[in-house]
Amino acid sequence: MIDLNDLVVRGYLVRLVGEDGLQMIENMPEGEVTDEQIAEATGILLNIVRRTLFILNEHKLAICRRERDSSSGWLTYLWTLDMTDIGPQLLKEKKRLVKNLRTRVKFEEENVFYACPEGCIRMNFNEATECEFLCPYCGEDMMYDDNAGFIEKIEKRLAFLDKEK
Amino acid sequence: MSIEETAYNLIRDSKEGIFQNELWKMLEIDSRKCSRVVSKLLNEDLITREQAVSNGARTYLLKVKEEEKPCFDLLLSGEMFSPCAGCRDACQPEICGKLTAWVENLNDDAETGEMC
Repeated sequence: MIDLNDLVVRGYLVRLVGEDGLQMIENMPEGEVTDEQIAEATGILLNIVRRTLFILNEHKLAICRRERDSSSGWLTYLWTLDMTDIGPQLLKEKKRLVKNLRTRVKFEEENVFYACPEGCIRMNFNEATECEFLCPYCGEDMMYDDNAGFIEKIEKRLAFLDKEK
Repeated sequence: MSIEETAYNLIRDSKEGIFQNELWKMLEIDSRKCSRVVSKLLNEDLITREQAVSNGARTYLLKVKEEEKPCFDLLLSGEMFSPCAGCRDACQPEICGKLTAWVENLNDDAETGEMC
């Protein structure tokens, strides 16, 4: 059984299905249930329940079974939560984060940035040259943006992530 | 259930571990057979064995090997989870605002490395 109060698990599920989805997961009835039963038991709107179930299924965190009613021929979709696969999913997320952080740090290291002091925009040297170092939104002079601290933050975290592998 | 599985479950269910000279009595097998079962579990890297004394007799204390649980705390920046999870935007980490906010929120120190 996974701990839904765990910060990582909670954070991951909120990123996937939002606060409403998490609330649905927390109050989901036991066993195989239909989307309508879930909506009724949790008080969450049916369209949000469906959206949440599809996302969970896509990430292998919910199982869906189709059943055909022999007399009417209608199909019923029965859902069960199955969080046993959350570990491998989190591992995938970790790899994706590492990959994106590496791309970002490389980009930050290879470019020089200028930013609007009003916070409108940040651009690299070439882009800043094209607009003559004036903010295209407010017309302020663009200022050199020192990204050393930003790079350091990424590198520190990457070092920890690498060490842990 | 094989005798090895029964033995493993008994060892696992005991918090402090089980003395080998108690295990064979619980399994209702003789000590020679028990040694073989224990060897098998040791070979499969499922348990650990250390010398111990029980009621004045030298024996072994058997414990289940702790599974190393991977730690995912490094996906968090403060309380923010990795923005790449479940992201459906066109992925451009170079200029991604969500990733920028996540990185800016980082506050790593020596303790961060010890989280896991």
